[in-house]
Parts: sequence; C-alpha cells; structure tokens
Amino acid sequence: MKHISQMHMRELKKGSAELLVLSLVEDRARHGYEIGKLIEARSAGRLRFKVASLYPLLYRLEERGWIKGQWMEKAGERRRRFYRITRAGRQVLAAQKNNWLEFVDAIRHITGIENA
Amino acid sequence: MPDWKTLIAARFPKLQMNPAREKEILDEFSQHLDDRFRELRSEGKSEHEAMRLAIDEIEDPDLEKEMKTLRQSFDSLPIAPGAPSRHLTADIGRDVIYAIRTLCRQPSFALAAILTLALGIGVNTAIFSLVNGMLLRHLPVQNRDRLVYLYTRQNLSVLSYPAYKTLRDNNQSTEKLAAWGLIQASLNAEGETDLVLGAIVTGNFFDALGVRPERGRLLGMDDDLKPGAHPVAVISDRLWRTRFGERTDIVGHEIRLNGQPFTVVGITPPEFPSAQLGVNRDLYVPMMMQALMRPPRAGYSGEMDPDLLNNANNGWLYSLALLKPEGTAAQAAEELSAVATSYAKSRSANARPQQVTLVPIDDGDPASRQQMRSVATLLLAVVGTILVIACANVANLLLSKAVSRRRELAVRLAVGANRWRIVRQLLTESILLSVTGGAAGVALAFAIVEAFKIALPASGVLPIAVEFSIDMRVLIFTFVLSFVTGIVFGLLPALQASNPNVAPTLKDESFVPDERGRRIRLKQSLVVAEIAMTAVLLVAAGLFIRSLLKSQQVDPGVAANELLSAPLNINLLRYTRTQGRDFYKNVIDRVSALPGVVSASVARVAVLTGGGRILTISIEGQQPATDQRLSEARGISAVDRDTASANVVSPEFLKTMGIALVQGRNFTLDDAEGRPRVALVSETFVRRFFPNGDAIGKRFRTPPVDNPEWTEIVGIVRDSKYGSLNEEPQPVVYLPIRQQHETGVTLYVRTSTSPESLIAIVRHEIQQLEPNLPVPDIQTMNQTIAASLYVPRMAAWLIGILGTLAMILTSLGVYGVLSFAISRRTRELGIRMALGADSGKVLRLVIREGMLLLALGLAVGMTGAAFFTMTLSGFLFGVDTHDLTTFVTVPLVLTFVAFAACYLPARRAIGVDPIKAIREV
Repeated sequence: MKHISQMHMRELKKGSAELLVLSLVEDRARHGYEIGKLIEARSAGRLRFKVASLYPLLYRLEERGWIKGQWMEKAGERRRRFYRITRAGRQVLAAQKNNWLEFVDAIRHITGIENA
Repeated sequence: MPDWKTLIAARFPKLQMNPAREKEILDEFSQHLDDRFRELRSEGKSEHEAMRLAIDEIEDPDLEKEMKTLRQSFDSLPIAPGAPSRHLTADIGRDVIYAIRTLCRQPSFALAAILTLALGIGVNTAIFSLVNGMLLRHLPVQNRDRLVYLYTRQNLSVLSYPAYKTLRDNNQSTEKLAAWGLIQASLNAEGETDLVLGAIVTGNFFDALGVRPERGRLLGMDDDLKPGAHPVAVISDRLWRTRFGERTDIVGHEIRLNGQPFTVVGITPPEFPSAQLGVNRDLYVPMMMQALMRPPRAGYSGEMDPDLLNNANNGWLYSLALLKPEGTAAQAAEELSAVATSYAKSRSANARPQQVTLVPIDDGDPASRQQMRSVATLLLAVVGTILVIACANVANLLLSKAVSRRRELAVRLAVGANRWRIVRQLLTESILLSVTGGAAGVALAFAIVEAFKIALPASGVLPIAVEFSIDMRVLIFTFVLSFVTGIVFGLLPALQASNPNVAPTLKDESFVPDERGRRIRLKQSLVVAEIAMTAVLLVAAGLFIRSLLKSQQVDPGVAANELLSAPLNINLLRYTRTQGRDFYKNVIDRVSALPGVVSASVARVAVLTGGGRILTISIEGQQPATDQRLSEARGISAVDRDTASANVVSPEFLKTMGIALVQGRNFTLDDAEGRPRVALVSETFVRRFFPNGDAIGKRFRTPPVDNPEWTEIVGIVRDSKYGSLNEEPQPVVYLPIRQQHETGVTLYVRTSTSPESLIAIVRHEIQQLEPNLPVPDIQTMNQTIAASLYVPRMAAWLIGILGTLAMILTSLGVYGVLSFAISRRTRELGIRMALGADSGKVLRLVIREGMLLLALGLAVGMTGAAFFTMTLSGFLFGVDTHDLTTFVTVPLVLTFVAFAACYLPARRAIGVDPIKAIREV
C-alpha cells in the first residue's frame, strides 16, 4: 500500500468519501470528529480526513438531505453536532454500496486480483 | 485551553453568510480542534506542539475553496430579516420579495391598508392635478424671464391702437412690443357657421412669444402692413381637430370669416392657449384686418368709428413686451410710464400721469391668480388632512399586526439580528403598501378627474378655463407622496415592533403592562388626532353646505322660472345702426307673437352672468366725479362712491324680467335717438345718490368731464340682482337702447309655459330673420342661475364628500382601536364577568373608553375648527364663520357615529365567555 501515490489516494478518496461517511452514520448518529477518527482507525491510518475536507463533505451531504445534523448536549459532555442518516441517505448508501461491489468485481475479473 | 474561535476566525475565510449558520460552523470547527488538541496532549505532545498540529487542520488552501462552493447553497436558505447586508440593491430586492410574501400571507390586512391608502392618495392626486392645471402650468413660450404684460393699476392695460404704436416706437427698453384684441367671429367652413373665439394680433405677436407653428406658418410682420390687405388666418390645434377633422391640407384651405374669404396659413401648437393662460383662442387674424374682424361695438363711449386703427379714443388692445436682455423690468416700466404720460398729455393738457406696471408673463393675472391660490390652498389642506387620517388608520392596522408578529421578530432579535435591518424590512413592507395604494389611487384620481370634467359647466361660467391634467408632474408627485406616506405611517410601528426589550415577548406573556400600555396609548392618540381632524373638515363642509343653501334661497329679483335668454351678437354682421335697430324690433315682434310668450326684450348686459358695465355718475348740482374711463369687465362691481352699474334695454325689459316700477314711468318708443336722454334707476341708486329720496326729474351725466349731454331720471325700479346672486344690492342705471345703440345684446323672453319648451322655436325665429347669425346658447334663467352657483355648489359637494370620507375613515379607526383594545383585554374582561360584573357594566366600560377618545378629539377638533374657519370667510355667503348650527351639528353627528363604532366591539366584549377567556392566553 505504500506504493499508492498521493495523487491516486486523493482520487480514490474523492470517489468513496460519501460512501464512507454514509456507512459510518448508518447505525447511529456521530459527530464530525468521531467520523474522522473512525475513518482513520478502520483504514489503519491509510485514510485521513482533515477539517478542510471532512466538514465541507458533511455539509454537502446535509444539503442533499442524505444526512441530518443536530446539536445535542449529552450528560456530562459539551454540546456537539451529531449527524445521522436520513431515509434518502439510506437509499443512496445502498446504491453506492452496490456500485462499489460491482466495480471491485469488475476490476478483479479484469486484473485477476484476489480479495485479500 | 486555547481560544479556538479566535484562532479559527483569524485564519478562516470570512464566509459572509447567515450569521447564525456561520456561528454554528465556527463552533463545530472549534469542537473538532479541541478534540484534536486533547488527543494530541494525551499522546504526550506538548501544549505548544499540540496546538500547532491542531491548527494545522484548518491551514489548508482547499478549505476556502470548498467552503466557497458551499456558500451558494447556504445563501439560498430562507431570508431572515436582520441578516447583515452585502450588496444594497440585492438586499433591497430581497426585502421587497420578503415583503410581498409577508403581505400575501395576510390578504385582508393588506387589502384594507391598500384601499385606505388608495382613497387618501387618490384624492390628493386628483386635487393636485387641478392645482397643476390652475397654478403650475406655464404658457409655452420662450424667453419667459423677459416677457411681461403691460398693466395699469390692477388690470391689463387697455390701449388704443395709436397709443400702442406710440409706446412701441418710443421706447428703448423693449425688443418687441406686441398687442392683441379679443374677438368673436363667425366662421363658415365645411358647410357650417359657428361662432369662434379669437384674437386679432400685431405682426410681432407670435415672434415676441417665441411660439413655433405646428403646421404651416404663424402671422408675421409681413401680414401687418396695409389695412384690409391680409386675409390670412391662423387656427388653433383644437379647432383643426374638432372643426376641420385634422385635414392634412389645412394650410392653404379657404374659410369665410364674418362672410369674407380668408386663407388658413398655419396652426398653433396644441399646448398654446393664447397670450393668456386659461383663455383659449381658436383663431388669430392680423391687426390690419380690424375693419372686418373687429367691428366697433357701440357702447356708451360711442365706439362707432369703424376705423379703430386710427381712433385714439377707444382702448381695446392688450399688450405684452419682450424686454431687452440688458435692462431691468423696473427701468422698462419707468420708461413706458413716461411715454404713456407724455402721450396722454399731448391729447389733453389735463391728463393725469400714466403708470405702467410690468407683470411677468408667468404670474398671469394677479387677481385671478390670488383667487386660485387661495382655492388651491384650501383644497390641498382638506385632502392633505384626509391623507393624514388614512395614514393614522393604516398605522393603527400595522400596530395591531405587529402584535401577532412579535414572536417572530423577538426570536430574530435574540439571535443577533440587526435592529435597523429589521426596521428597514418593515419599512419596505409599509412602502410597498403605500406605493400599491398610490397606484390604485392614481386610477381613482383618473375617475375623479373624469367625473369633474363631466360636471364642469359650459365655458364662460368660470372666469378661466379650468384644466385638469394627470401629467408626468402629477405622477411624480403621487409617487413621492406614496413613498413618504409609507415612511410616515410605517416608521413608528416599525420602531415599536423592533424594540430590543423582547424578553417578556419570548416568555409569551400577553399581559405585559408597560409595552402593551404604550402601544395602546399610541393607537389612542392616533385616533384622537383623527377625530379632531375630521371635526375640522366636517365643520368646513357644514359651512359650505349652508352657504350653498343660502345662495339658492336668494331672490334674484326677476321672474326666473319663466325666462329664456339668447345672446345676439350682431356686430359680426356689421349692420348699420338702422339695420341693427330694425333687427331688434323684428326679433322682439316675432318672438312676442309666438304662442306661450308673454313678452320679449333685449338688454346689453346679461344678468347673473358676472358681466357688467360701470358708469361714473356726476349728479347735476353735486360734486363732479373724477374723470374715470368706463370699463367693461367681469366681476367689477360699483364699489366706488361715484359709480353705478349700467344696462341698456328695450322698453319691454321691465315687463319681461318681472322687475317692478316703483315710481315714475317706463321707457317708451318715443325715447329714441335725438330726443332728450332719459334713464331708469334702481332703489339702491336712489339711496346712494339721493339720500333724501327725491330722484325723479333729476339729471346726471357721465364722462368725459365736458360731456354736454345730461340724462334725466324718469323712473325708479325695484332692486334686482345684476352680476351675481351673492352681491350686495347694486345701484343700477338703465338706458334706452333706442338712444344708445348696442351691437351685442341678450334677448330675454318671458313665457307663460315652461321656458324649455320654447327654446327650439325661438332659435328658429331668430335664424329665420338672420341665417348668418350664430345663436350658440339659448338658456333658461334657472340654468343661468344654476351656472352662476357652480362654484359654491362644487365647493359644497367636494368638501362635503371629503368630510364624509374623513368621517368614514375615522369611524373605522375608532372601531379598530377599540376592537384591538378589547381583544387584548379578553382575559381581564372574562375575569370581571366571572367575578360577577354584569354585562351592562362591561358594555358601559367599553363605550366609556370610546367616548373618552371622542371627547378628547372633539375638544381639540372644535377648537381647531374655530380658528380654521376664520380663513374661509372669503368663500362663504350669508353664513358666519362660527355658525352656531354647524358648530352644534358636527359634534352631534360625530358622537352618533363614534357611538356606533364603539357599539360593535362593546357587544363583542359582553359576548366573551368568562371561562374561555380566563383559559385563553
């Protein structure tokens, strides 16, 4: 994976960012920092979203109505903005998941790459 | 802990979006950096290092770009009043759209406001268009700063042609000195004969005024060379349209004037009335055609000489001058006065010094302008008051509406919206209402103006031609007025509604004594003011109405119900004296022989039309009067001690008019030319000139001072109205027409049946006798009287309607305020009734509130009226400015109306269900 260049990584990130965020908020609402940390953790550090790319993405998804942000104050904590998926978001997530699976399948068939 | 917000703000691009949203984003970013900072610290990084790495998160050139693409969509969030401005025009545009949306959500309120404003603005526009026509218009001439009329004393100077030439040729101050005379002519064209009003002008007339022809050419110096040699004419645009059907070959077209062929050489421009604003002339002919076009009108001064161009005894020309640029008007006046004086002295060594005054052409006739100014001021004051009342009503509506929006505005203020931005938004709503109302008002004004035009009397009744026009100036006036109106009635409610002390509102208490009390007091003051203004208007209306009624009750002193009048202008036919006399005799004989006719006669002066003739009287044996020229003009009454009004009549006059002979004898056919001169006089004449009552057989004479002819008084007649119904009793002298030939008379016919039924047959008889004589206007005396009362009637109608309008608006205002006050006190009233107050008590409580407003309003209003009406004395007849009947009736009427306006809300108050009211918040 070290051979993946910066540029390639950026392109792949762009294409998959929405899918990542939607799937992370599929089960429960999360705030922005948590989403960023989860992406970093679950990708073993390969994918990192800074403020400059994460929040504009969240706002764009919110505009499209795929997620909804809400300020919440949990007991003993500071006020945070939590994002949860909407019904439209679920539909988009399902479609995007399908697209990725098909895409990956196609790549595998052409190149002969096996799933690790 | 670092101040993330400040650090972020320093690096974060200014997004300039909705402040609430921007604050949220800032908060979220701060949260993120804080979490990152804590994480880094927990990993063992130093505070400085952790901060640096945390800040690094937002030090990204892509951030601004990313946020910018989002900015567009943030902006399309619903606009909130109070958002900070970016571009003024875009903001105002948004304000307007927001205002439209808000008003569409409250259609009944918007409609009520717009209609009220339309009424107020509409009447202002209509009256302003009248003022525009009367006072603000100018003659469409060039070099108006150098154009002047020549006046002696109060009136346009009346010159003889030789005098005019002397003035013209002997002064250094004027570039051009022109003259004109007013004429009537019989115009025969396209197979019809009409009477047209025209002017006979010197060659430099149009040049001096700087008027350009619409078609062809205007008269010039080449048309002013030889008497009788220039049969050319210029017509007005109006005549070309109405009489010649806009024919394209009008230039060069031949017409007949007074029976002789003339060629039309040009048309004056549409906006050019004549040399005087308000005096419309349709025909212009050269001065050299005087013999044909301005035949002498035989009057007492003996204007019998057909050659007026060389006759220095008859003044009949008006004049104007184009001053040279280098001199002043004062210098010119002085020089012209000197020339005039030396000319007068050259003709008579005893002549007094002549004083010429130069009146700028834009000032017009000072006397009538002064009158128009006072009328205009009065009307504008009245309609201005109505607009103020309308504004007060709409302001009250807005104050009520503001209550229902208070939560919305309070929330916006709480999240930091700019107060002035909110005020601007609310003012935008007000201005939108008022401009819409103004547009509707213009439509209303058009309708009012059309109604007025239809109601205008035939020309000749009013001293000047009244022009209404809704032109660009009027439209601009309306727009500016609408705009200002919106600010006037909107500002206070906007300031009230945007008051930052909003905490109680957010807690949703409807019982906030201070703010509510202030709001109600404001509304009450507005209503008290409305009542006061309405009281003043109604008093004025009452006085005008009573004045009209008094005028209508005046006894004209003639048999008004049985009289017809027909003007006969035989001077157009250039009869000789004998022909003229015979014509009169024939007309009288033929008409008298008709079935239904009791008698007929002719008279020089048509009674009750405002016209007249004044003679200076020197009684034999009494102090001789000063040498004053007799003058024939509108509106002059014999107020000078030594003057009397005069009329020249046939012997049947007294019988025809129904005027009683009190003493002595009537005229007979023997009182003819060559016989001793005789006269009849009125009772007032006797009182003035013969205080001991003995007048029969006495003699008098009239100017010139050396006039050898004495006139003997042979009879005294009952006083009757001469010029107008409202005049004081006049001293009148009647002279026999057979001794004093006149070429312009009115035929009077006394009928035994209804006069209307004989109009057609009388016209027929006249035209049988003389087909070339145009007989424009045959009227009954009642029609003449009604026309003479046109102005007081219009005034009474106009001010009466406006006063009623004000009353309706005010009663709506009273109703509105009380309804509002009650709705706010529903809980209190419910409690009262639950505690046992009977409905009668609640009713009385409510009505008392309303009556208190009324009392205050009346106190202020009636006091104001007492002062205001003193300015109306010039307009009233037979009614005191503090007429008791009016001053008692108006408060009674207003009390009744206010009571009715109180009653409905009061009924609603007692209909309140106490339980429901207490539960209601």
